[in-house]
Amino acid sequence: MTQAPLISGRSLTKVYGHLIALRDANLAVMPGEARGLVGSNGAGKSTLIKILTGATAPTRGAVEVAGEAAPLGDPKEMIRRGVACIYQHANLAPAMSVMDNLFLGRQPRQRFGLLDRARQRREALDLLERHGVDLDLDAAVGALPTVQQKEVEILKALALDARVILMDEPTAWLAASEVAKLHATIRTLKAGGVGVVYISHVLDEIFALCDTLTIMRDGCVVAENTVAAIDRPTVVHLMVGEKLARESDEAARQKRRARGSGEVRLRASNLAKRGVFKDVSFDLYAGEIFCITGLIGSKRTELVRTLFGSESFDSGSLEVDGRPAAFSSPSRAIARGIGFVPEDRRREGLMLEMTVTENLAMAMLDRFRQGFMLRRGRMVEAGRKAISSLSIQPPDGTKPVNLLSGGNQQKVLVGKWLNRAPRILILDEPTVGVDVGAKAEIYAILRRERDRGAAVLVVSSDLEEVMTLADRIGVMVAGRLVAVHDAEAVQMDEIVREIGMETA
Amino acid sequence: MSAGGLATPAHFRGWIAGNALLIAILAIVIVFSVAQPAFVSPDNLIGIVRQVALFGIMATCSTFVIMTGGVDLSVGPVLAIAGLVSYYSLGAGLPLVLVIVSGLSVGVLVGLVNGGLVAFLELPPIIVTLAMLGVVRGSALILGGPEQHLIRDQPQYTFIGAGNVFGLPVPILIFGATALVMMFVQRRTPLGLLVAAIGDNERAAYLSGHRTRATKTLVYAISGFGAALAGIVQSSQVHTALATYGPFGTELDVIAAIVVGGTSIMGGNGSVARTLLGVFFLGVVNDGMNILNVPIDIQLMAKGAIIVIALGLAARGT
Repeated sequence: MTQAPLISGRSLTKVYGHLIALRDANLAVMPGEARGLVGSNGAGKSTLIKILTGATAPTRGAVEVAGEAAPLGDPKEMIRRGVACIYQHANLAPAMSVMDNLFLGRQPRQRFGLLDRARQRREALDLLERHGVDLDLDAAVGALPTVQQKEVEILKALALDARVILMDEPTAWLAASEVAKLHATIRTLKAGGVGVVYISHVLDEIFALCDTLTIMRDGCVVAENTVAAIDRPTVVHLMVGEKLARESDEAARQKRRARGSGEVRLRASNLAKRGVFKDVSFDLYAGEIFCITGLIGSKRTELVRTLFGSESFDSGSLEVDGRPAAFSSPSRAIARGIGFVPEDRRREGLMLEMTVTENLAMAMLDRFRQGFMLRRGRMVEAGRKAISSLSIQPPDGTKPVNLLSGGNQQKVLVGKWLNRAPRILILDEPTVGVDVGAKAEIYAILRRERDRGAAVLVVSSDLEEVMTLADRIGVMVAGRLVAVHDAEAVQMDEIVREIGMETA
Repeated sequence: MSAGGLATPAHFRGWIAGNALLIAILAIVIVFSVAQPAFVSPDNLIGIVRQVALFGIMATCSTFVIMTGGVDLSVGPVLAIAGLVSYYSLGAGLPLVLVIVSGLSVGVLVGLVNGGLVAFLELPPIIVTLAMLGVVRGSALILGGPEQHLIRDQPQYTFIGAGNVFGLPVPILIFGATALVMMFVQRRTPLGLLVAAIGDNERAAYLSGHRTRATKTLVYAISGFGAALAGIVQSSQVHTALATYGPFGTELDVIAAIVVGGTSIMGGNGSVARTLLGVFFLGVVNDGMNILNVPIDIQLMAKGAIIVIALGLAARGT
């Protein structure tokens, strides 16, 4: 092929402080090509995308659009040259109509700067027709189903004459039937010569939709191939890497402790919440790590929040240590020995401007209370101990926690429960945005808690994490716990297959 | 911030930024005292503190509200109604302690309603307290009517506003005690830490097992308490209760002192000590302009400009 790629990144490297987020990465997309981009969290996918959209400039390397060198770190210029990006979360004005969203910020004008509604409608209809999409131009975007919102975003990109569309997990919030609809739209685009970069954790989608595949790990592109020439186990192996694969094998050879000591700590029976999850039943045992995996949007987060009392359920029952436990608030759950590490540490977990010591103390201020007084000395002492036992870097309790790296922030968030010696520890995606080293440390902490006799419940989308950490594995699909396995007796392929299952 | 940090230019800049307001206060004192030596006389300095005592009490007590990311616009009418309630309690012949308790209770009650609506119904603080500003002012007018109610022959009560202890006016002592208690609560109690935590990340505080709603309610009650205390001191000071005391602008002065002090209007970062600096800063500016006979219209404009400049500098400093 002598044709120039629509977009091509060459030897892209990005360094943040002493963290190399991206190392010498190449990526090119030809007209009509759908390229899958896969890798575990922190593999450098988003950094690569950010460079291609101009959201950030690479430390080294070059980007070409249609064979011409493009300026780096200039998002407006990249849009002008036809590079668009569609993010996981909608980037639309929900109260405005589809038509207004399509032309947001660049509505056609008449003389005197008045909006030219007629021309706007004409152009919008033309756009719909050209790309074979059926949308009600006057509907408010917020009232549309998620998949149509995605289509609005795609059309918005096309209205700007996008030649390349980067899609960051576009199906994360979609039901399976909607995924098929979105894929049909993408195929129409391909036929029209648009290039697509498709990021997804769901390998099924990659194999169904994409022509080519780029696999990333630890900031590097580790393989590139046509989808036809590669099989799924190879992809998984490449994503995970030799070292983790070996460690995972080692962890796998470690004695798994399914059902731990045999004592049921938490029993969920037929838990249901209308429109969210239903028929969820499982036992969580003292001394085991139980991982619940599934797609984003499979309602795992909602389930564990229910266990912790920050959300309610409609029916079913919950028992802790054999006693009923429908907690009306987190404080009641905590009083019964439950600790909870939420998914989004910046939004739900940490007081970012407060110090490491204060954050570590946040779940146990009652322990530092004497009458009305706060025993600051004790708090600082407990903080110092936690910092050293968790090896939080830098080991300075007076630092505001937002100055720490993601991995160390996460250690603070886990650490704040440990002094309570929780009987049940629930963690939602405990290692998102955490580097490999800190990941291993967090795993070690969780194993230590398990060995101490705590019941540990981990929600994770990262299958490697699940295979490495779990004593038992539960799979959640669309609000149902469809399977529970002993980790010793199950292969990753089987879990992958179950995750992708559609429930009727 | 530490004294040893003066060693390097970077530390020095940090120290300047951390103490900008203190330096500004000293600078203004020097400028005014050169222009008008009477400014630094002990009488005038005590006068300044006495003048700021009322809104100093309100500002220190309202700091927690701002720290949780809220705001209390209802302090002005609470000040008025607390004075009226005390006046009527005196008239009913209640003992002094009950007079004070009843005056303070009104403020606490208004605060509890404010806080309850904000915390449990999750209504926006600015709307809730704006509505309460109207409701309480209306109630005060129904209670007291438009006329002045003179407080005569109540030496015990008027001692609160006009008396002296150890050569210092009692309002200053009350202001000092309030400030000390609030500083203590903020720095030395779990409540103080929790207030900052709620302002920083309310959801995280809730998920850490804290009763965030109760705490937010309490914080508004404290603010109402402060306004009522100021109302009692004022009515006793001027021997009068009046439904229109604490006029429009009182709440803005209170908020200005807190925010100029450096407490973030978005919540989280803040302290009672900084509010004290803000109170003194505005007090010194006010008094200085009075002494220099700056006309009132110019004073208002200058105050507005100073607040904006102070906030701009604070934003750049951090």
